[in-house]
Amino acid sequence: MLRMTQPSTVLSIFAMFLHTTFGESGCASADGDGTLGDDEPDNFDIDCFSQLDIKDPFSSLTCNFTELPPHNTTYTLSLCTKDDNKYTCDNMKKQEDAYFLQFTDILSNRDLCMFSETKRRVCRSLVVTHIVKPEAPFAINITYQREANEYLIRYRTPHSGKKYLEGKLIHQIAYRQKEGTWKTIESPHHHVRLLGQNLEKNASYEVKVRSQPNGKFFKGTWSEWSTSKSFRTAREQHSTESYSSVVMIILSILGFMLCIVMIALIIIFWENRIKPAVWPNLPDHKKTLEKLCKKPKNNFDISFNPESFGYVHIHKVDGIRAKAELENFLQPSIAPETSLPEKFRKGSDLKMIPAMTDKSNLNLSVTYGGIWPAEAPHRLLSTSQLAVTEENCSSSTYEVCHGNRVPLHNSGGSNLSSAPPLDPSGQPRPEPPNDDTVSQMLPNYEMRSPNNEEAYVTMSNFYKIQ
Amino acid sequence: NSAFFRSTLPVLPLLLVLSPVNSSSCAMENKTTEIHVKYENILIHDISELVNISAQNRDRCCKNKKHENIKVFFCNDTQEIESLQSMACNMLRFFHKQRISKAFRWKAAFVSCGTLQVLKCKCEGHRKER
Repeated sequence: MLRMTQPSTVLSIFAMFLHTTFGESGCASADGDGTLGDDEPDNFDIDCFSQLDIKDPFSSLTCNFTELPPHNTTYTLSLCTKDDNKYTCDNMKKQEDAYFLQFTDILSNRDLCMFSETKRRVCRSLVVTHIVKPEAPFAINITYQREANEYLIRYRTPHSGKKYLEGKLIHQIAYRQKEGTWKTIESPHHHVRLLGQNLEKNASYEVKVRSQPNGKFFKGTWSEWSTSKSFRTAREQHSTESYSSVVMIILSILGFMLCIVMIALIIIFWENRIKPAVWPNLPDHKKTLEKLCKKPKNNFDISFNPESFGYVHIHKVDGIRAKAELENFLQPSIAPETSLPEKFRKGSDLKMIPAMTDKSNLNLSVTYGGIWPAEAPHRLLSTSQLAVTEENCSSSTYEVCHGNRVPLHNSGGSNLSSAPPLDPSGQPRPEPPNDDTVSQMLPNYEMRSPNNEEAYVTMSNFYKIQ
Repeated sequence: NSAFFRSTLPVLPLLLVLSPVNSSSCAMENKTTEIHVKYENILIHDISELVNISAQNRDRCCKNKKHENIKVFFCNDTQEIESLQSMACNMLRFFHKQRISKAFRWKAAFVSCGTLQVLKCKCEGHRKER
Protein backbone atom coordinates (compact mmCIF):
# COMPACT_ATOMS: atom_id res chain seq x y z
CA MET A 1 0.00 0.00 0.00
CA LEU A 2 2.70 2.32 0.87
CA ARG A 3 4.52 1.59 -2.41
CA MET A 4 1.41 2.60 -4.43
CA THR A 5 0.81 5.86 -2.60
CA GLN A 6 4.29 7.17 -3.06
CA PRO A 7 4.22 7.25 -6.89
CA SER A 8 0.72 8.78 -6.92
CA THR A 9 1.84 11.48 -4.57
CA VAL A 10 4.76 12.36 -6.76
CA LEU A 11 2.56 12.34 -9.82
CA SER A 12 0.00 14.65 -8.27
CA ILE A 13 2.62 17.08 -7.13
CA PHE A 14 4.11 17.14 -10.64
CA ALA A 15 0.69 17.76 -12.12
CA MET A 16 0.07 20.65 -9.83
CA PHE A 17 3.40 22.10 -10.80
CA LEU A 18 2.46 21.87 -14.47
CA HIS A 19 -0.92 23.47 -13.88
CA THR A 20 0.51 26.47 -12.27
CA THR A 21 3.15 26.95 -14.85
CA PHE A 22 0.87 26.49 -17.85
CA GLY A 23 -2.01 28.69 -16.87
CA GLU A 24 -5.08 29.62 -18.91
CA SER A 25 -3.52 32.86 -19.89
CA GLY A 26 -0.99 30.99 -21.86
CA CYS A 27 2.67 31.05 -21.66
CA ALA A 28 4.00 33.53 -19.16
CA SER A 29 6.88 35.58 -20.22
CA ALA A 30 9.68 36.76 -18.15
CA ASP A 31 8.48 40.37 -18.19
CA GLY A 32 5.12 39.31 -17.06
CA ASP A 33 3.08 41.57 -19.34
CA GLY A 34 1.83 38.80 -21.50
CA THR A 35 3.64 39.84 -24.61
CA LEU A 36 5.98 37.82 -26.60
CA GLY A 37 8.85 40.03 -25.82
CA ASP A 38 12.05 38.63 -24.62
CA ASP A 39 13.80 39.72 -21.63
CA GLU A 40 15.32 42.68 -23.33
CA PRO A 41 13.19 45.85 -23.39
CA ASP A 42 11.92 47.10 -26.75
CA ASN A 43 14.21 49.76 -28.10
CA PHE A 44 12.75 50.71 -31.42
CA ASP A 45 11.16 54.05 -31.97
CA ILE A 46 8.43 53.88 -34.49
CA ASP A 47 5.51 56.10 -35.29
CA CYS A 48 2.32 54.56 -36.63
CA PHE A 49 -1.08 55.78 -37.64
CA SER A 50 -4.22 54.06 -38.85
CA GLN A 51 -6.69 55.10 -41.52
CA LEU A 52 -10.09 53.58 -41.01
CA ASP A 53 -12.27 52.44 -43.85
CA ILE A 54 -9.87 53.77 -46.41
CA LYS A 55 -11.21 51.23 -48.91
CA ASP A 56 -14.25 49.34 -47.72
CA PRO A 57 -13.94 47.01 -45.79
CA PHE A 58 -10.23 47.52 -45.29
CA SER A 59 -8.42 49.85 -42.97
CA SER A 60 -4.73 50.60 -43.13
CA LEU A 61 -1.77 50.93 -40.82
CA THR A 62 1.28 52.97 -41.71
CA CYS A 63 4.46 53.02 -39.63
CA ASN A 64 7.64 55.02 -39.87
CA PHE A 65 10.82 54.63 -37.97
CA THR A 66 11.58 57.76 -36.06
CA GLU A 67 15.05 56.44 -35.49
CA LEU A 68 16.31 54.53 -38.40
CA PRO A 69 17.81 51.17 -37.55
CA PRO A 70 21.27 50.37 -38.70
CA HIS A 71 21.47 49.80 -42.43
CA ASN A 72 23.22 46.54 -42.12
CA THR A 73 20.30 44.94 -40.38
CA THR A 74 16.99 43.92 -41.82
CA TYR A 75 13.87 44.30 -39.84
CA THR A 76 10.36 43.06 -40.38
CA LEU A 77 7.37 44.79 -38.93
CA SER A 78 4.31 42.69 -38.25
CA LEU A 79 0.90 43.34 -36.85
CA CYS A 80 0.06 40.49 -34.57
CA THR A 81 -3.12 39.28 -32.91
CA LYS A 82 -3.17 36.98 -29.98
CA ASP A 83 -5.65 34.17 -30.38
CA ASP A 84 -5.80 31.17 -28.11
CA ASN A 85 -2.29 31.67 -26.87
CA LYS A 86 -1.20 31.92 -30.41
CA TYR A 87 0.02 34.93 -32.23
CA THR A 88 -1.21 35.50 -35.68
CA CYS A 89 0.95 38.09 -37.42
CA ASP A 90 0.63 39.90 -40.67
CA ASN A 91 3.82 41.33 -42.14
CA MET A 92 3.74 44.93 -43.18
CA LYS A 93 4.89 45.91 -46.62
CA LYS A 94 7.77 48.29 -46.91
CA GLN A 95 7.11 51.32 -49.09
CA GLU A 96 10.15 53.53 -49.30
CA ASP A 97 10.73 54.58 -45.70
CA ALA A 98 7.36 53.45 -44.38
CA TYR A 99 5.65 50.18 -43.62
CA PHE A 100 2.09 49.68 -44.79
CA LEU A 101 -0.59 47.09 -44.08
CA GLN A 102 -4.32 46.70 -44.85
CA PHE A 103 -6.62 44.84 -42.47
CA THR A 104 -10.28 44.52 -41.52
CA ASP A 105 -10.42 43.86 -37.78
CA ILE A 106 -10.24 47.13 -35.85
CA LEU A 107 -11.76 45.73 -32.66
CA SER A 108 -9.01 43.36 -31.61
CA ASN A 109 -6.12 44.44 -29.53
CA ARG A 110 -3.08 44.33 -31.73
CA ASP A 111 0.62 44.11 -31.20
CA LEU A 112 3.21 45.63 -33.42
CA CYS A 113 6.23 43.40 -33.53
CA MET A 114 9.56 43.93 -35.10
CA PHE A 115 11.54 40.97 -36.17
CA SER A 116 15.23 41.20 -36.71
CA GLU A 117 17.46 38.92 -38.64
CA THR A 118 18.50 37.25 -35.46
CA LYS A 119 14.92 36.16 -34.94
CA ARG A 120 14.70 38.58 -32.15
CA ARG A 121 11.22 39.88 -31.77
CA VAL A 122 10.18 43.06 -30.07
CA CYS A 123 6.51 43.83 -29.73
CA ARG A 124 4.49 46.76 -28.66
CA SER A 125 0.77 46.85 -27.97
CA LEU A 126 -1.29 48.83 -30.40
CA VAL A 127 -4.90 50.08 -30.32
CA VAL A 128 -5.90 50.81 -33.88
CA THR A 129 -8.78 53.12 -32.92
CA HIS A 130 -6.48 55.36 -30.89
CA ILE A 131 -4.00 56.25 -33.63
CA VAL A 132 -6.49 57.33 -36.29
CA LYS A 133 -5.34 59.89 -38.84
CA PRO A 134 -8.27 61.08 -40.96
CA GLU A 135 -8.04 61.91 -44.63
CA ALA A 136 -7.52 65.55 -45.57
CA PRO A 137 -10.56 67.71 -46.38
CA PHE A 138 -11.07 69.09 -49.87
CA ALA A 139 -13.26 71.36 -52.01
CA ILE A 140 -12.99 74.59 -50.01
CA ASN A 141 -15.59 77.16 -51.09
CA ILE A 142 -15.70 80.77 -49.90
CA THR A 143 -18.80 82.93 -50.29
CA TYR A 144 -19.19 86.58 -49.26
CA GLN A 145 -22.54 87.51 -47.73
CA ARG A 146 -22.93 91.22 -48.29
CA GLU A 147 -25.91 91.76 -46.03
CA ALA A 148 -24.24 90.24 -42.99
CA ASN A 149 -20.70 91.25 -44.05
CA GLU A 150 -19.52 87.67 -43.45
CA TYR A 151 -17.42 85.18 -45.35
CA LEU A 152 -18.89 81.67 -45.39
CA ILE A 153 -16.19 78.99 -45.76
CA ARG A 154 -17.46 75.53 -46.67
CA TYR A 155 -15.44 72.35 -47.20
CA ARG A 156 -15.91 68.63 -47.66
CA THR A 157 -14.31 65.55 -46.06
CA PRO A 158 -13.87 62.03 -47.53
CA HIS A 159 -15.34 60.53 -44.37
CA SER A 160 -18.79 62.00 -44.96
CA GLY A 161 -20.08 58.83 -46.63
CA LYS A 162 -18.01 56.30 -44.70
CA LYS A 163 -18.85 54.08 -41.77
CA TYR A 164 -16.78 54.95 -38.75
CA LEU A 165 -15.68 58.63 -38.73
CA GLU A 166 -18.72 60.43 -40.09
CA GLY A 167 -19.76 63.02 -37.54
CA LYS A 168 -16.88 62.09 -35.25
CA LEU A 169 -14.31 64.59 -36.52
CA ILE A 170 -13.37 68.10 -35.54
CA HIS A 171 -12.08 70.46 -38.24
CA GLN A 172 -9.53 73.21 -37.95
CA ILE A 173 -9.65 76.17 -40.36
CA ALA A 174 -6.53 78.25 -40.74
CA TYR A 175 -6.53 81.63 -42.52
CA ARG A 176 -4.08 84.44 -42.95
CA GLN A 177 -3.45 87.50 -44.96
CA LYS A 178 -0.82 87.11 -47.61
CA GLU A 179 2.49 86.34 -45.93
CA GLY A 180 0.92 86.98 -42.56
CA THR A 181 0.41 84.94 -39.41
CA TRP A 182 -1.94 81.99 -39.45
CA LYS A 183 -5.09 82.17 -37.38
CA THR A 184 -7.14 79.08 -36.61
CA ILE A 185 -10.77 78.28 -35.91
CA GLU A 186 -12.13 74.84 -34.93
CA SER A 187 -15.55 73.54 -35.79
CA PRO A 188 -17.32 70.14 -35.78
CA HIS A 189 -19.37 71.22 -38.79
CA HIS A 190 -18.49 71.48 -42.42
CA HIS A 191 -18.63 75.28 -42.56
CA VAL A 192 -17.29 78.32 -40.76
CA ARG A 193 -18.09 82.06 -40.91
CA LEU A 194 -15.51 84.80 -40.80
CA LEU A 195 -16.70 88.24 -39.82
CA GLY A 196 -15.87 90.92 -42.34
CA GLN A 197 -15.15 93.46 -39.61
CA ASN A 198 -12.28 91.30 -38.43
CA LEU A 199 -10.67 91.23 -41.85
CA GLU A 200 -9.01 93.98 -43.75
CA LYS A 201 -10.89 95.51 -46.62
CA ASN A 202 -9.80 94.81 -50.14
CA ALA A 203 -7.07 92.39 -49.03
CA SER A 204 -6.02 88.93 -50.19
CA TYR A 205 -6.45 86.01 -47.77
CA GLU A 206 -5.52 82.32 -47.79
CA VAL A 207 -7.51 79.48 -46.18
CA LYS A 208 -6.77 75.77 -45.49
CA VAL A 209 -8.49 73.03 -43.42
CA ARG A 210 -7.55 69.81 -41.60
CA SER A 211 -9.38 67.23 -39.43
CA GLN A 212 -8.89 65.16 -36.29
CA PRO A 213 -10.99 62.57 -34.39
CA ASN A 214 -13.04 64.21 -31.68
CA GLY A 215 -11.59 61.91 -28.97
CA LYS A 216 -14.83 60.40 -27.69
CA PHE A 217 -14.06 56.90 -29.01
CA PHE A 218 -11.68 57.43 -31.87
CA LYS A 219 -8.47 59.20 -31.07
CA GLY A 220 -5.59 60.17 -33.21
CA THR A 221 -3.70 62.95 -34.93
CA TRP A 222 -4.43 65.80 -37.34
CA SER A 223 -4.85 64.98 -40.95
CA GLU A 224 -2.83 66.59 -43.67
CA TRP A 225 -3.78 70.16 -44.65
CA SER A 226 -6.15 70.60 -47.50
CA THR A 227 -5.22 72.53 -50.60
CA SER A 228 -5.12 76.27 -49.81
CA LYS A 229 -7.76 78.54 -51.25
CA SER A 230 -7.30 82.27 -51.72
CA PHE A 231 -9.94 84.99 -51.73
CA ARG A 232 -10.10 88.78 -51.70
CA THR A 233 -12.16 90.72 -49.22
CA ALA A 234 -14.69 93.27 -50.36
CA ARG A 235 -14.02 96.95 -50.50
CA GLU A 236 -15.27 99.18 -47.78
CA GLN A 237 -18.93 99.88 -48.18
CA HIS A 238 -19.48 103.56 -48.86
CA SER A 239 -21.90 105.36 -46.70
CA THR A 240 -23.74 106.47 -49.79
CA GLU A 241 -24.47 102.90 -50.77
CA SER A 242 -26.01 102.17 -47.43
CA TYR A 243 -27.68 105.56 -47.43
CA SER A 244 -29.18 104.99 -50.86
CA SER A 245 -30.46 101.61 -49.80
CA VAL A 246 -32.07 103.18 -46.71
CA VAL A 247 -33.60 105.91 -48.86
CA MET A 248 -34.97 103.36 -51.27
CA ILE A 249 -36.52 101.43 -48.46
CA ILE A 250 -38.11 104.55 -47.00
CA LEU A 251 -39.42 105.64 -50.39
CA SER A 252 -40.89 102.28 -51.10
CA ILE A 253 -42.63 102.26 -47.73
CA LEU A 254 -43.98 105.77 -48.29
CA GLY A 255 -45.16 104.87 -51.76
CA PHE A 256 -46.93 101.84 -50.44
CA MET A 257 -48.63 103.83 -47.72
CA LEU A 258 -49.63 106.52 -50.23
CA CYS A 259 -51.22 103.90 -52.43
CA ILE A 260 -53.21 102.61 -49.51
CA VAL A 261 -54.36 106.14 -48.61
CA MET A 262 -55.36 106.84 -52.21
CA ILE A 263 -57.34 103.66 -52.41
CA ALA A 264 -59.12 104.51 -49.18
CA LEU A 265 -59.95 108.01 -50.39
CA ILE A 266 -61.29 106.68 -53.67
CA ILE A 267 -63.49 104.25 -51.86
CA ILE A 268 -64.79 106.91 -49.48
CA PHE A 269 -65.47 109.66 -52.03
CA TRP A 270 -66.51 107.49 -54.94
CA GLU A 271 -70.23 107.95 -54.67
CA ASN A 272 -70.37 111.59 -53.67
CA ARG A 273 -67.64 113.30 -55.65
CA ILE A 274 -65.70 111.19 -58.05
CA LYS A 275 -68.49 109.40 -59.83
CA PRO A 276 -70.56 112.57 -60.45
CA ALA A 277 -67.50 114.31 -61.87
CA VAL A 278 -66.50 111.48 -64.14
CA TRP A 279 -69.99 110.45 -65.15
CA PRO A 280 -72.20 113.48 -64.66
CA ASN A 281 -75.83 112.77 -64.31
CA LEU A 282 -78.00 113.84 -67.18
CA PRO A 283 -80.24 116.66 -66.07
CA ASP A 284 -83.83 115.98 -65.59
CA HIS A 285 -85.72 118.09 -68.00
CA LYS A 286 -88.65 118.52 -65.72
CA LYS A 287 -86.54 119.72 -62.88
CA THR A 288 -84.52 121.97 -65.08
CA LEU A 289 -87.61 123.63 -66.45
CA GLU A 290 -88.98 124.06 -63.00
CA LYS A 291 -85.85 125.95 -62.07
CA LEU A 292 -85.86 128.11 -65.14
CA CYS A 293 -89.50 128.97 -65.24
CA LYS A 294 -90.64 131.60 -62.84
CA LYS A 295 -93.73 130.70 -61.14
CA PRO A 296 -96.31 133.31 -61.42
CA LYS A 297 -97.50 135.08 -58.40
CA ASN A 298 -100.35 133.65 -56.55
CA ASN A 299 -102.51 136.57 -57.38
CA PHE A 300 -102.03 136.03 -61.04
CA ASP A 301 -105.06 134.84 -62.75
CA ILE A 302 -103.85 133.12 -65.80
CA SER A 303 -106.39 131.85 -68.13
CA PHE A 304 -106.58 131.01 -71.77
CA ASN A 305 -110.22 131.73 -71.95
CA PRO A 306 -110.71 134.38 -74.63
CA GLU A 307 -113.63 135.88 -72.76
CA SER A 308 -111.32 136.85 -69.92
CA PHE A 309 -109.38 139.03 -72.29
CA GLY A 310 -112.37 141.11 -73.18
CA TYR A 311 -110.83 144.30 -71.91
CA VAL A 312 -107.77 143.78 -73.96
CA HIS A 313 -107.61 145.30 -77.34
CA ILE A 314 -106.62 142.60 -79.66
CA HIS A 315 -105.76 143.60 -83.12
CA LYS A 316 -105.18 141.18 -85.80
CA VAL A 317 -102.46 142.19 -88.02
CA ASP A 318 -102.25 141.53 -91.68
CA GLY A 319 -98.55 141.65 -92.27
CA ILE A 320 -98.56 142.11 -96.02
CA ARG A 321 -101.28 144.71 -96.06
CA ALA A 322 -99.57 146.64 -93.34
CA LYS A 323 -96.45 146.80 -95.36
CA ALA A 324 -98.22 148.09 -98.43
CA GLU A 325 -100.03 150.81 -96.52
CA LEU A 326 -96.85 151.82 -94.95
CA GLU A 327 -95.18 152.28 -98.26
CA ASN A 328 -98.06 154.39 -99.50
CA PHE A 329 -97.78 156.47 -96.47
CA LEU A 330 -94.12 157.03 -96.84
CA GLN A 331 -94.07 158.06 -100.53
CA PRO A 332 -95.41 161.68 -100.20
CA SER A 333 -92.89 162.43 -97.65
CA ILE A 334 -89.67 161.34 -99.27
CA ALA A 335 -87.84 164.64 -98.72
CA PRO A 336 -88.18 164.78 -95.03
CA GLU A 337 -87.28 161.20 -94.97
CA THR A 338 -83.87 161.84 -96.27
CA SER A 339 -83.12 164.03 -93.34
CA LEU A 340 -83.64 161.17 -90.97
CA PRO A 341 -80.75 159.21 -89.81
CA GLU A 342 -79.89 156.31 -91.94
CA LYS A 343 -80.75 153.80 -89.42
CA PHE A 344 -84.31 154.70 -89.44
CA ARG A 345 -84.66 154.26 -93.13
CA LYS A 346 -83.98 150.66 -92.95
CA GLY A 347 -85.67 148.21 -90.88
CA SER A 348 -88.92 146.61 -90.71
CA ASP A 349 -91.97 147.17 -92.70
CA LEU A 350 -92.99 149.86 -90.34
CA LYS A 351 -90.75 152.63 -91.46
CA MET A 352 -90.13 155.60 -89.48
CA ILE A 353 -92.63 158.20 -90.23
CA PRO A 354 -90.92 161.47 -90.79
CA ALA A 355 -91.44 163.69 -87.91
CA MET A 356 -91.50 166.94 -89.72
CA THR A 357 -94.34 166.65 -92.01
CA ASP A 358 -96.89 168.92 -93.11
CA LYS A 359 -99.52 168.43 -90.68
CA SER A 360 -102.14 169.47 -92.90
CA ASN A 361 -101.18 167.23 -95.65
CA LEU A 362 -100.37 164.32 -93.60
CA ASN A 363 -102.53 161.48 -94.29
CA LEU A 364 -102.30 158.67 -92.01
CA SER A 365 -103.40 155.42 -93.21
CA VAL A 366 -104.16 152.91 -90.73
CA THR A 367 -104.71 149.58 -92.09
CA TYR A 368 -105.66 146.82 -89.92
CA GLY A 369 -106.62 143.49 -90.73
CA GLY A 370 -108.89 143.40 -87.84
CA ILE A 371 -111.21 145.31 -85.78
CA TRP A 372 -110.65 148.95 -85.29
CA PRO A 373 -110.45 149.26 -81.64
CA ALA A 374 -112.90 151.65 -80.16
CA GLU A 375 -110.43 153.13 -77.86
CA ALA A 376 -107.85 153.60 -80.47
CA PRO A 377 -109.10 156.99 -81.62
CA HIS A 378 -109.30 158.10 -78.03
CA ARG A 379 -105.82 157.19 -77.48
CA LEU A 380 -104.88 158.81 -80.64
CA LEU A 381 -106.44 162.00 -79.51
CA SER A 382 -104.74 161.80 -76.16
CA THR A 383 -101.48 161.74 -77.82
CA SER A 384 -102.09 165.08 -79.41
CA GLN A 385 -99.85 166.60 -76.92
CA LEU A 386 -97.00 164.66 -78.21
CA ALA A 387 -94.64 166.33 -80.51
CA VAL A 388 -92.56 164.21 -82.61
CA THR A 389 -89.48 165.90 -83.56
CA GLU A 390 -86.81 164.85 -85.77
CA GLU A 391 -84.32 164.80 -83.01
CA ASN A 392 -86.36 162.65 -80.74
CA CYS A 393 -86.65 159.70 -82.95
CA SER A 394 -84.82 157.64 -80.59
CA SER A 395 -85.66 154.30 -79.40
CA SER A 396 -87.94 155.68 -76.76
CA THR A 397 -89.83 157.81 -79.20
CA TYR A 398 -89.70 155.29 -81.91
CA GLU A 399 -92.78 153.75 -80.60
CA VAL A 400 -94.40 157.14 -80.48
CA CYS A 401 -93.41 157.89 -83.99
CA HIS A 402 -94.60 154.48 -84.92
CA GLY A 403 -97.64 154.67 -82.91
CA ASN A 404 -98.73 158.20 -83.77
CA ARG A 405 -97.01 158.93 -87.05
CA VAL A 406 -97.81 162.51 -86.59
CA PRO A 407 -98.37 164.79 -83.76
CA LEU A 408 -101.97 165.17 -83.23
CA HIS A 409 -103.59 168.41 -83.02
CA ASN A 410 -106.42 168.79 -80.72
CA SER A 411 -108.64 170.56 -83.03
CA GLY A 412 -111.32 170.26 -80.50
CA GLY A 413 -113.63 169.15 -83.03
CA SER A 414 -111.80 166.25 -84.11
CA ASN A 415 -114.22 163.88 -84.84
CA LEU A 416 -113.08 160.65 -84.01
CA SER A 417 -116.28 159.28 -84.69
CA SER A 418 -115.15 159.24 -88.15
CA ALA A 419 -113.65 155.96 -87.41
CA PRO A 420 -113.83 153.95 -90.44
CA PRO A 421 -116.74 151.70 -90.40
CA LEU A 422 -116.13 148.09 -90.16
CA ASP A 423 -116.56 145.93 -93.09
CA PRO A 424 -118.44 142.85 -92.69
CA SER A 425 -115.17 141.16 -92.91
CA GLY A 426 -113.86 143.16 -90.14
CA GLN A 427 -111.65 145.18 -92.28
CA PRO A 428 -112.00 148.85 -91.91
CA ARG A 429 -112.87 150.65 -95.03
CA PRO A 430 -110.47 153.31 -95.91
CA GLU A 431 -111.98 156.71 -95.69
CA PRO A 432 -110.95 159.63 -97.67
CA PRO A 433 -108.68 161.80 -95.78
CA ASN A 434 -110.14 164.79 -94.17
CA ASP A 435 -108.14 167.89 -93.59
CA ASP A 436 -109.84 168.56 -90.37
CA THR A 437 -109.71 165.26 -89.13
CA VAL A 438 -106.78 163.43 -88.54
CA SER A 439 -107.18 159.92 -88.69
CA GLN A 440 -104.48 157.93 -87.74
CA MET A 441 -104.18 154.59 -89.06
CA LEU A 442 -102.01 153.04 -86.66
CA PRO A 443 -100.71 149.77 -87.35
CA ASN A 444 -101.19 148.47 -83.89
CA TYR A 445 -99.16 145.43 -83.77
CA GLU A 446 -98.97 145.39 -80.10
CA MET A 447 -100.38 147.02 -77.09
CA ARG A 448 -97.94 147.30 -74.38
CA SER A 449 -100.09 149.11 -71.90
CA PRO A 450 -103.44 150.69 -71.48
CA ASN A 451 -101.68 153.94 -72.28
CA ASN A 452 -102.53 155.21 -75.73
CA GLU A 453 -98.91 155.62 -76.49
CA GLU A 454 -98.36 151.92 -76.70
CA ALA A 455 -100.41 150.12 -79.21
CA TYR A 456 -98.57 146.80 -79.17
CA VAL A 457 -99.87 143.93 -77.24
CA THR A 458 -97.54 141.50 -75.73
CA MET A 459 -97.92 138.57 -73.47
CA SER A 460 -96.26 140.43 -70.72
CA ASN A 461 -99.06 142.96 -70.82
CA PHE A 462 -101.36 140.32 -69.54
CA TYR A 463 -99.38 140.08 -66.36
CA LYS A 464 -99.31 143.87 -66.05
CA ILE A 465 -102.97 144.29 -66.76
CA GLN A 466 -103.76 141.78 -64.10
CA ASN B 1 -8.58 4.57 7.79
CA SER B 2 -5.23 6.25 7.54
CA ALA B 3 -4.40 4.15 4.56
CA PHE B 4 -7.66 5.20 2.86
CA PHE B 5 -6.91 8.88 3.18
CA ARG B 6 -3.36 8.44 2.06
CA SER B 7 -4.49 6.67 -1.04
CA THR B 8 -7.21 9.12 -2.02
CA LEU B 9 -5.50 12.35 -1.21
CA PRO B 10 -3.41 12.58 -4.44
CA VAL B 11 -6.45 11.98 -6.54
CA LEU B 12 -7.75 15.43 -5.79
CA PRO B 13 -4.92 17.25 -7.57
CA LEU B 14 -5.31 14.91 -10.49
CA LEU B 15 -8.93 15.85 -10.74
CA LEU B 16 -7.93 19.42 -10.72
CA VAL B 17 -5.36 18.87 -13.44
CA LEU B 18 -7.44 16.55 -15.52
CA SER B 19 -10.53 18.65 -15.23
CA PRO B 20 -11.34 20.32 -18.48
CA VAL B 21 -10.26 23.87 -19.16
CA ASN B 22 -12.71 26.50 -18.10
CA SER B 23 -15.65 26.87 -20.58
CA SER B 24 -15.44 29.71 -23.07
CA SER B 25 -17.27 32.23 -20.94
CA CYS B 26 -16.98 35.69 -22.31
CA ALA B 27 -14.42 37.83 -20.61
CA MET B 28 -16.64 40.91 -21.04
CA GLU B 29 -19.39 39.45 -18.93
CA ASN B 30 -19.72 42.39 -16.58
CA LYS B 31 -18.41 45.11 -18.84
CA THR B 32 -21.59 46.17 -20.56
CA THR B 33 -20.54 49.80 -20.89
CA GLU B 34 -17.49 48.94 -22.93
CA ILE B 35 -19.53 46.54 -25.02
CA HIS B 36 -22.11 49.23 -25.66
CA VAL B 37 -19.52 51.79 -26.73
CA LYS B 38 -17.89 49.42 -29.21
CA TYR B 39 -21.26 48.45 -30.56
CA GLU B 40 -22.28 52.08 -31.11
CA ASN B 41 -19.06 53.13 -32.83
CA ILE B 42 -18.12 50.05 -34.86
CA LEU B 43 -20.47 47.07 -34.86
CA ILE B 44 -23.62 48.96 -35.67
CA HIS B 45 -22.36 49.99 -39.10
CA ASP B 46 -21.52 46.45 -40.14
CA ILE B 47 -24.79 45.11 -38.78
CA SER B 48 -26.67 47.75 -40.81
CA GLU B 49 -24.87 46.68 -43.96
CA LEU B 50 -25.68 43.04 -43.18
CA VAL B 51 -29.34 43.93 -42.75
CA ASN B 52 -29.36 45.75 -46.10
CA ILE B 53 -27.82 42.77 -47.86
CA SER B 54 -30.29 40.36 -46.28
CA ALA B 55 -33.16 42.69 -47.30
CA GLN B 56 -32.04 42.47 -50.90
CA ASN B 57 -32.10 38.66 -50.75
CA ARG B 58 -35.08 38.30 -48.44
CA ASP B 59 -36.80 35.44 -50.15
CA ARG B 60 -33.64 33.47 -50.65
CA CYS B 61 -32.72 33.33 -47.00
CA CYS B 62 -36.07 32.34 -45.54
CA LYS B 63 -37.14 29.44 -47.73
CA ASN B 64 -36.24 26.81 -45.13
CA LYS B 65 -39.54 25.51 -43.91
CA LYS B 66 -38.14 23.06 -41.47
CA HIS B 67 -37.43 25.78 -38.95
CA GLU B 68 -34.72 23.59 -37.52
CA ASN B 69 -32.54 26.57 -36.90
CA ILE B 70 -35.15 28.71 -35.28
CA LYS B 71 -33.43 28.54 -31.96
CA VAL B 72 -30.11 29.51 -33.47
CA PHE B 73 -30.72 33.22 -33.30
CA PHE B 74 -32.97 33.32 -30.27
CA CYS B 75 -32.11 35.83 -27.56
CA ASN B 76 -32.77 34.84 -23.98
CA ASP B 77 -33.65 37.47 -21.44
CA THR B 78 -30.99 38.17 -18.83
CA GLN B 79 -28.60 36.18 -20.97
CA GLU B 80 -27.82 38.72 -23.59
CA ILE B 81 -24.13 38.08 -23.79
CA GLU B 82 -24.56 34.31 -24.00
CA SER B 83 -27.21 34.82 -26.61
CA LEU B 84 -24.98 37.08 -28.64
CA GLN B 85 -22.19 34.56 -28.41
CA SER B 86 -24.50 31.80 -29.55
CA MET B 87 -25.80 33.85 -32.43
CA ALA B 88 -22.36 34.80 -33.61
CA CYS B 89 -21.10 31.24 -33.49
CA ASN B 90 -24.16 29.90 -35.25
CA MET B 91 -23.88 32.53 -37.95
CA LEU B 92 -20.38 31.39 -38.65
CA ARG B 93 -21.72 28.01 -39.58
CA PHE B 94 -23.34 29.52 -42.64
CA PHE B 95 -20.05 30.70 -44.00
CA HIS B 96 -19.63 27.63 -46.10
CA LYS B 97 -23.22 27.45 -47.29
CA GLN B 98 -22.86 27.94 -50.98
CA ARG B 99 -26.54 28.67 -51.47
CA ILE B 100 -26.16 31.96 -49.70
CA SER B 101 -24.62 34.86 -51.57
CA LYS B 102 -20.94 35.43 -51.09
CA ALA B 103 -21.34 39.04 -50.05
CA PHE B 104 -23.80 38.06 -47.36
CA ARG B 105 -21.61 35.26 -46.06
CA TRP B 106 -18.58 37.48 -45.85
CA LYS B 107 -20.44 40.24 -44.14
CA ALA B 108 -22.08 37.79 -41.73
CA ALA B 109 -18.71 36.34 -40.87
CA PHE B 110 -17.35 39.82 -40.36
CA VAL B 111 -20.14 40.70 -37.96
CA SER B 112 -19.81 37.40 -36.11
CA CYS B 113 -16.12 37.78 -35.61
CA GLY B 114 -16.56 41.37 -34.52
CA THR B 115 -19.22 40.36 -32.02
CA LEU B 116 -17.06 37.65 -30.54
CA GLN B 117 -14.18 40.07 -30.42
CA VAL B 118 -16.21 42.66 -28.54
CA LEU B 119 -17.50 40.05 -26.11
CA LYS B 120 -14.12 38.41 -25.95
CA CYS B 121 -15.72 35.04 -26.44
CA LYS B 122 -14.83 31.92 -28.31
CA CYS B 123 -16.99 29.40 -30.01
CA GLU B 124 -16.86 25.97 -28.50
CA GLY B 125 -15.99 23.36 -30.99
CA HIS B 126 -15.88 25.84 -33.90
CA ARG B 127 -13.17 27.65 -35.70
CA LYS B 128 -13.56 31.29 -36.43
CA GLU B 129 -13.17 31.89 -40.08
CA ARG B 130 -11.61 35.00 -41.27
